[in-house]
This record gives sequence, C-alpha cells and structure tokens, in this order.
Amino acid sequence: MIDEIRAQVRVWLAALGPGERWSGLRARVRKQFRLSLLTTALLGICLVLVLTPRRVRIEGPASSQLEVGTAMVMGSVQNRQEQAIVAAEVAAVPAAGGEPIAEGLTQTDGRYILVLPKGLPEKLTVEIRRDHYGKVAVELTSADIGSLRDGRPVVLPPTVLLRSRGPAFWITTLIFLAVLGLMATGKQHNTLAALVGVASLFAVSYLGSPVREDLFIFDFRSALLYVDWNVIFLIMGMMIVIAVVEETGVFQWLAFKSYQISGGRRWLLLAILMTVTGITSALLDNVTTMLLMAPITVQIALALGMNPLALLMPEVLASNVFGISTLIGTPTNILIGSYARISFGGFLWNLTPGVMLALGGLIVYGEWQYRRELASGNGASADLLQKLSERGRIVQPEELRKAGWVGAAMLALFLLGDRVHLLPSVTALVGATALLAWIKPDMEKMMEAVDWTTLVFFIAIFIVVGAVQEVGVISYVAEGMGWLVGGNLVLAMLAVIWTGAILSTVIANIPFTAAMLPVVGHLSARVPGAETKVLFYCLAVGSAMGGNGSLIGASANMVTAGIAERAGFPITYAYFLKKGAPAVLVTVGLATLWLLLRFYVLG
Amino acid sequence: MTTVPIRQIICAVRSGPESRETVKRAIAVALESGAKLTFFHVMDAEFLGYATHGTLRVVYHELGEMGKFVMLILCDRARARGVAQVDYLLREGNVRTQLRKLAIETGAEVMVIGRPTKSSTKNLFKAAEFDAFVADLEKEGNLRVIQVEPAPIAEKDLQGGLVP
Repeated sequence: MIDEIRAQVRVWLAALGPGERWSGLRARVRKQFRLSLLTTALLGICLVLVLTPRRVRIEGPASSQLEVGTAMVMGSVQNRQEQAIVAAEVAAVPAAGGEPIAEGLTQTDGRYILVLPKGLPEKLTVEIRRDHYGKVAVELTSADIGSLRDGRPVVLPPTVLLRSRGPAFWITTLIFLAVLGLMATGKQHNTLAALVGVASLFAVSYLGSPVREDLFIFDFRSALLYVDWNVIFLIMGMMIVIAVVEETGVFQWLAFKSYQISGGRRWLLLAILMTVTGITSALLDNVTTMLLMAPITVQIALALGMNPLALLMPEVLASNVFGISTLIGTPTNILIGSYARISFGGFLWNLTPGVMLALGGLIVYGEWQYRRELASGNGASADLLQKLSERGRIVQPEELRKAGWVGAAMLALFLLGDRVHLLPSVTALVGATALLAWIKPDMEKMMEAVDWTTLVFFIAIFIVVGAVQEVGVISYVAEGMGWLVGGNLVLAMLAVIWTGAILSTVIANIPFTAAMLPVVGHLSARVPGAETKVLFYCLAVGSAMGGNGSLIGASANMVTAGIAERAGFPITYAYFLKKGAPAVLVTVGLATLWLLLRFYVLG
Repeated sequence: MTTVPIRQIICAVRSGPESRETVKRAIAVALESGAKLTFFHVMDAEFLGYATHGTLRVVYHELGEMGKFVMLILCDRARARGVAQVDYLLREGNVRTQLRKLAIETGAEVMVIGRPTKSSTKNLFKAAEFDAFVADLEKEGNLRVIQVEPAPIAEKDLQGGLVP
C-alpha cells in the first residue's frame, strides 16, 4: 500500500515542473483531502441513518416484563384525517391532582400502553398532549377503574387530537412562504433560500422556545425524520451515471442525427428533436438534457438560417412533458414515487400513454406556433453544416457502450426490482458504482460531477416542508381540499392536476410537490377509488407539465433561456408565458383525458 | 487635431437580431479604414446558477463551441462584404471585466459596441451605467468607442437569419 502511494507521488512529481512541485502537490493533497472529507461526511450520514432506530422509543415495559394481572390502559391517538400521531405524550393522572402515576409515548402507529401501579385512586384521567395539538383529557369511568383493579386491561376508543394554531404555526407558514418567494423571484440561489428557511426554523425552535414554549416547531432529530433518503441517494446515483454519459458526446450526436434524419425539412426536424429530447429527458434528467442539447440546437438553427427559438422552445416543452413518464425523469416523480411507493413500472404503464398523447399534441402545437419560422429563413449554409457535422459525433464510444450496458441493466432492475422490494435508490447506487468500476474514470472529476448543491437543496426542502407538516398547515390544506372534492374521484383528480399545473407556473415545483404529497395522501385515503394512487399520478402530471407555463416553472426552462440569450436570442418571461401557457393547456388537457380514461372509465 | 490611423477594430457583440446594427457598423468602419476587424464574444455562464448542476465542465465546453460557431458566422459575413482581415476572440467570464482587459491588451483603436436596448430583455448593462462604463473603457484602453443604437426588432426579424 505504502509503495503504491510512493509510486503515485513520484508520478505526480514527474508530471510537475521543478518550481511547481511542492505547490502542485499541496494543491492535489488539499483536493484529495476535501474529497475524502466529503465522502467521509456522506458515509457518516449513512451510518447515522442506519444506526438510528426507525421507531419511536416507547417508554413502556417490554411484554416479557409484564406480570399477569398488571393494570394497563391501552389506546391510540390520531388526527382528524385519521392518521396516527407519533410521539404524543400520554399520562395517567389522578383526578384529584398531583403527579402522573404512569407515562408513555405513542408509537409510529399511534398506539400507547400505560402500565399502572397498584393502589389506583378512585378517579383517574388519561391526559394526551403533543406539540401543535390541543390537549385532551379522558376520564376513566368507575367501571374502567374496577376492571383495572381486577387486573383486566382497559382499551380506550381512539382519541382524536385537534390542531392548535399557535405562534409556531404562523411563523412556520411565513417561513415556508418566504422560501417559496425567494425561489420564485430568483433573488437567491434555490439552495440558499431553502437553507435560510431551515436555519430560521431552528432559530425559532431553539432560541424562541425557551422564551415562549409555543414557539417550538421541532428539534433537529425530528427534522431529520422528514428527510427522504431514498430520494437523496437515487438522485446522487443518477448524477454519477449522467456525469459519465454526458462526456461521451451522445447528446450532441443525437441532435445532429436528428438534423440528418430530417433531411433539412424543418417541420420534421422539429418533431424529431422534440421526440428525441423527450425520450432522453425520461431516461436522464431534463436539465442535463437541455444543457447539452440546446447549444447544438442553436447551431443547427443558425446553420439553417432560422430563429433558434423555433426549435429550442418546443424542445424544452417536450423535455418537461416527457420526463414524467418514468420514475427518474423528473425530480418531482422521484419525490412522488418514493412517498407513494410507486415503482418505475407504475409510472411507465400508467403515465407513458398519456404522456405520448400529450407529446403528440405538443408537436402539433409547436408546428403551428412556429409555422412562420419553420417556413422562412435564409437557407441552409453547407459550410456551417459541415462544421457542425464535426461536432455531432460520439467522442467516447467505448465509455458510451459500457454506459449503455449498465444503463440497460439499471432499467431492468428499476422495472423488476419492485418485485424483490429493491429500492430505486439502491439500483441507482449499484448502477453508478458498477459504471465507475468498469470505466475507471478520474474519481475526483466524477465526484465533482455530483451536484452536492442539489442534494443539500433537497435535504433542506424536506426539512422546511416537514416543519409545515409538523405544525399542521398541511392538515388544514388537506381538510380544505377534502371538503371541496367531497368523495368525488373525478373532482379530486381535476383538483390535484389543475391546482398543480397552475401553482407550478408561479412557484418552484419541487417544494410544491413535496408539500402536496401528504395532502394527496390524505385525499387518497378518503376518496373512494383513489386507492389506485391515481391522485399521485395526477400530481406528477400537474406539477411537471405546469412547469411549462412560465420561465421560472422549471429549471430546464431557465437554463434554456440562458443558453438562448448567450446566442443573442433572449427568452423573456412574457415570451415564455405566451408560448408556454397554451402548451400547458394542450398537454395537461390531453394527460387529464388519459388519466380519466385509465383510472375512471377503465378502472 | 491629429487623426490616429485605425489598424484594429473590435466589435463586441453577443450576436442575434439585436446585434444587427452593431455588426453592420463595425463592418462599415472596417471597410472604410481597411483595418482588421475582430469580433469579440464573452461567454458568461452566470445563468447556470439557476440550475443546480455539477457537471459544468462539459456545459462550458458546449457554450464555448456555440460561441465559436456564432463568431464564425459573423466572420464569414464580414468577409462576404469585403473585409479583408477578420477574426474573432472568445473569452469566458464577466463581460465588463473581459471588455476592460481586451481594450488594454489588444491596443485596438476602435471598439464598436451596441447600446443597451429598451426592451424587456435582460441586458448586460443598464442604460444609466453604460455611458460611465464606455468613458472608463475609452480612458483605460486609450481607444474610441462607437456606440450603436440597436434597431427595433420586428416579429418577422425573428423568423429567420442571424445578422445582416
């Protein structure tokens, strides 16, 4: 091992000039150190997660410790949506006052057991309290007391705790809205906005609650329980795979091949580019696809003497639409899939036909919207197209071949893994590791390619949305939506799809989707026919397709606008709205028809 | 008053329809003076801040290729109009900083640059700060800056073509 390190250092030194040796070596060591630190931190987090007990510790005795005839009070605690309330404090208190004679906490299923000592008082009350809920006291009847004295357990009916709207509720709501506002205005980087939200929540909880108890929102440990690590690791695994694929030049090749297949016919070029971009977005991610497809698309358009926006706009719209056909196509699908336990195949079978229908509509819309641009132009330049052909080629064929094999294996695991309870995050990590081991790329470069900013963003958003859930904002929204739709499945589907579509045009769809998940979960449990998870598919359609309604609706829109502007063809907010909003109506309309057909008509 | 002979003209341009007048003017000055015309494009990637994305290296490369392509188009057009010596320079980073550096480094006598438009599109410069920037540029680079007012862009201008 030491010999290997020495040999590596010798190679480094040989590669550097004499003057650069030590500074260069130091820089490399520093880089390696940072990398190791990052990796260690990540592994540390994993370790903590693995070691952290999943269930809330109950302060009751183990069943083996109970004697026959022990007096016990059992019951469960739930909210108005009939969801179990975890970690509620339950105490048996003598009605005459004084210290509790038994205490406990509710488990993850909301149940509790109180083991009572001998010598019970005449009257006994079970008090249940939890932060952000009103306190409830249940007085045991004399018959109950009699049963307990005889050594028979008493089972109380489920207790419903009602939410209380204290200062913590309002402050959390304000913080959540502020985070959304910061993201919508683009004044702050999304990750910073989310982190500011997290910091504010903890500041209120830890610094405010000693002054006023009702300022407590949640503690650090409870906050971490809201982070969905399946999502984080799935995204990280896919980032590594994408980092390998994007170096191969396959995106540029695809774009140029689209031109070649179209034979210079612009209407056909538009249709092919939209389809290719859509399919690529479904398998990788929208932002990467657009970052790498857009520059060469601009060049193709310029070589053909046409306005690049006539190709770029439909391309990004298609990217946002088609991405929802798979679990890994959009971040919102990853969130939904993990929360609702929808498999890769679930998205594929239930959404892809609707998405294809929407894409068909979108192609027709794109052809019509840009009919003048597609018909006019200065004519193709043979010289420029020749220059382009040199760029539109695979630069790393061997790596692409290997990535193709691993990608196919991952796809198979994504599809079949559900049968053996294989989490998508595990498939992504295994696939990424296999690819790295096979290709043996520069690990430092690969780790740099993992977007830690995005991962931190997701962790922070989970915590912010968790706080909103903790104080009860989500419950009120869920109740409100439940009241609006009643028990009508069609109404519920339309409400989820179109609320998602409209709101996603003005607010970032990732925090929106994360916040809507428990709401949709509540509706799915209440509305007859919604147990098929149809409402989660509706959320996927609304939140992702709605992103086409405005420039800030999706990250892919922003990067496409940035690239177009660099070529001198700015996409303004108004321009995007003008072209994107009708596209939302077309695509969401068609997808709604499919979902109604699939889940309501066909069942 | 002595007239400084013009040997090099820099046309700082982003390309696209709004650059049409700027490019026209630069070509006209080059033809008139017989000077070498250098198109200058700065590739700034600040917008990538919107995308939380780690693999910037590949994206930078792609943006560079796109910038190069656009500059090649401009060079071809200038040659077609009779400019004998024409080339381009491509840099990445902050536009203001790169313009300043270029003005000092190249020793060009003239820089042609478009004024900020009144359209709602994002501009690199605000109208109010542009004059001060140009004054600094002239002083630091010891060159003359020709400011060009962009022609309004009609819908049909966007239906095809890049610059004249």
